[in-house]
Amino acid sequence: MSLLQKVKNFVRSKSIHVAYVDVGSCNGCDIEVLACLSPRYDIEQYGIYVHNNPREADILLVIGAYTPGWEEKLRSLWDKIPDPKVAIAIGNCPISGCVFNRPHSLIDPPVAKHIPIAAQVPGCPPRPTEILSAVLAMAPVVFKDYEVKKR
Amino acid sequence: MKRTVDVSIPLGPVHPCWKEPARVKCETRGEYVLSAEVELGYMKKGIERIMRGRPWQEVMFLAERVCGICSVIHNMVFIEALESISNIPVPDRAALLRVVVNELDRMQSHILANFSYCYTIEHETLGMYLLDVRENVMDELERITGARVTCAYIVPGGVRFDLRDEDALHLRANLAAIEEEITRYTGMFENGPLIALRSRGIGVLTREAAREACAVGPTARASGMPETDRRLRHPTYQKLGFTPVSREEGDNYARIMMRFQEVLQSIALIRTCLDTLPEGPIRGGGIPGAGETAYSGEAPRGELSYFIKTDAAGRVLDIAIQTPSIMNIEACCHYMLKGVASLADVSSTFVSSDPCIACTER
Repeated sequence: MSLLQKVKNFVRSKSIHVAYVDVGSCNGCDIEVLACLSPRYDIEQYGIYVHNNPREADILLVIGAYTPGWEEKLRSLWDKIPDPKVAIAIGNCPISGCVFNRPHSLIDPPVAKHIPIAAQVPGCPPRPTEILSAVLAMAPVVFKDYEVKKR
Repeated sequence: MKRTVDVSIPLGPVHPCWKEPARVKCETRGEYVLSAEVELGYMKKGIERIMRGRPWQEVMFLAERVCGICSVIHNMVFIEALESISNIPVPDRAALLRVVVNELDRMQSHILANFSYCYTIEHETLGMYLLDVRENVMDELERITGARVTCAYIVPGGVRFDLRDEDALHLRANLAAIEEEITRYTGMFENGPLIALRSRGIGVLTREAAREACAVGPTARASGMPETDRRLRHPTYQKLGFTPVSREEGDNYARIMMRFQEVLQSIALIRTCLDTLPEGPIRGGGIPGAGETAYSGEAPRGELSYFIKTDAAGRVLDIAIQTPSIMNIEACCHYMLKGVASLADVSSTFVSSDPCIACTER
């Protein structure tokens, strides 16, 4: 690996853009993701910028148990994110459906059936620190040796 | 009459400023909004369908997960509906502790709503200040109930945990700090010239329109309808001598200021509860039985109603939930958004009515 690639790997791991999408949760995880923005946890000190625009995102936080309203839409949203990209499932809902995975409900978990999920953060809801550490764990992986792999 | 519509602009479902997916379709002439329409259906999980036929012990946790932001009030209304079916008495200490936790939940919800608004009008500094204060409120919630969100604190016949004396001391100290900060930020919001430009006179909901649209909660109270507050009809709040506040303007500015005022009011209510907290048991016990009832409570966003029918074993045979946000979203789309001068104000007006899509669709 060239020196240039090493520098690129380092610099890019400190500049990550995050978008979040709620595909049918109870809102509890959304507010814990928002709490990551607060000065106490301060996700931006690590160079991670949350601004919910899929077209410039590197990491997509998927929250919720996949409701019928998101069929086709989640896939097309995922396609709109430029490469390289990863998705992180936040909370129990995208992993198993949590309490909503019962007979007669309308949901269709897990989200991994619909888009590739790179990491999962269980919890109902997970604490902001757990979400933060998952994003930080993925940050160096997203862009690692991107040019080498592309070749 | 023929209308000139230039373009129909959809906003959402993924929008930089909105926490949850909803789609607002605006018919505009230039940037002037002629009419708006909301399209829901991104969050429909069918919670009421799951609830039917299940024992109350399970439905209790499902009811909390109707809405994660205002989970305490869903818990409280569901349990108090069960109590009113089966005539289960609540000890005085537990009744006051319920008010303490409910008001803490209201505070964090209102502060989050105001953060969203400040973020939407791109006053990020004030937004971050507010989010910092909210963490203090979440700390208190966690110290009392054991969880930040969805804490299942209220059970039939009482509450789960007692408030220890050292926790009460800590709560008082933290409330003093929160009050000081919120007063400061209210002043910043009140006197900020840029905030006034983006907020005053925008998205006006008159008293007549609010009544016609059945607006509830802070949205209605900002339009001069204090009588919509369900806390007036709650026995514990009546004992505490609660009187709602209201404003007359009905614009975005009034709705945000309304929430700031209610946060200060909640702090005063919690202090009164702590001062008058009697010694005694926190759980009286009691078994939910057969019956049906309709019960309402005041969620942070407005009136929340549960209709419940149970059998002798405490199974929920039928349940219907009416949440406040659906009325406020209607009021927002059909009255506030009409005549908004620019598209930037559409998202801020929508956020100022504090829509909670998760509990709207369930």
